[in-house]
Amino acid sequence: MTMYKAQFNTIAEAFLMQSQNGQNHGIYVWSVFLIVALCISIAFIFYKQKIKSIAKKIK
Amino acid sequence: MFQVNRIYPYIFYLSLVIYLLSIFYGLFLTPEDFVQGNSYRIIYLHVPASFISQSLYLAMAVASGVYLIWKVKLSVYLVRSIAPIGAITTFIALVSGSIWGIPTWGTWWVWDARIVSTLILFIMYLGLISLHDSFNNYEKADKFLSILVLVGSVNIPIIKMSVEWWSTLHQPASITLSEKPAIDLVMLYPLFGSIIGFAGLVVCLVILSSKLQILKREKNKSWVHDYV
Repeated sequence: MTMYKAQFNTIAEAFLMQSQNGQNHGIYVWSVFLIVALCISIAFIFYKQKIKSIAKKIK
Repeated sequence: MFQVNRIYPYIFYLSLVIYLLSIFYGLFLTPEDFVQGNSYRIIYLHVPASFISQSLYLAMAVASGVYLIWKVKLSVYLVRSIAPIGAITTFIALVSGSIWGIPTWGTWWVWDARIVSTLILFIMYLGLISLHDSFNNYEKADKFLSILVLVGSVNIPIIKMSVEWWSTLHQPASITLSEKPAIDLVMLYPLFGSIIGFAGLVVCLVILSSKLQILKREKNKSWVHDYV
């Protein structure tokens, strides 16, 4: 079995992620992806801003 | 702090590339799971968060021990810095697990030992942050925080062993140190990649959080004025 076989042929297929039982699992997978991306991005932005503002105060 | 500033961008970009490549591999290139279908792909987002949330607590426990025994101030700064990052990763683990539960178990929540002990971990992280911030005296706050972190560390083996000790809906660990992995290597490699990449990003967050903590606590020192 090749390790680099694409599982979806179109963007729509990748978005829906239809399983062999006919259910679309894309909504679950992409929701989790979005939540993880948002949490991590917000955390980085929050800390960068906080450091900037405290450094300004100290100056 | 100066040394860390120098290596920070390398850790950040390397971790980001490893994480994104592993997620891409996991979401698009690994085959569908025979039982769970495509919903199993959540594993590449859920497992790193869950693993790191517990590892961060262990790191806090070690740092608390160092503070209580040797009174190293930096270690308690680290404890306070890790707590919010631990809360974020535990939140991700809980939410991603709940979403995964909908297609897999038919429900987003069950009062299962693994899930409840992880919820306790999340509440503990929030409680530790609130406790530390409720004190006016930093020395007292640091001492109480360290003691409570050590007391709470009893929850970590409970989370780990919950799937063995009780009959839970949550599946047992797919990767253990003593046995052959229960998941195929094609699925395992991107999982390792996503754990390493996510861990690197979390290390970057801890660096930023520690920097903020040091600036807050040492703002009256002359070296801080020189630094900023």
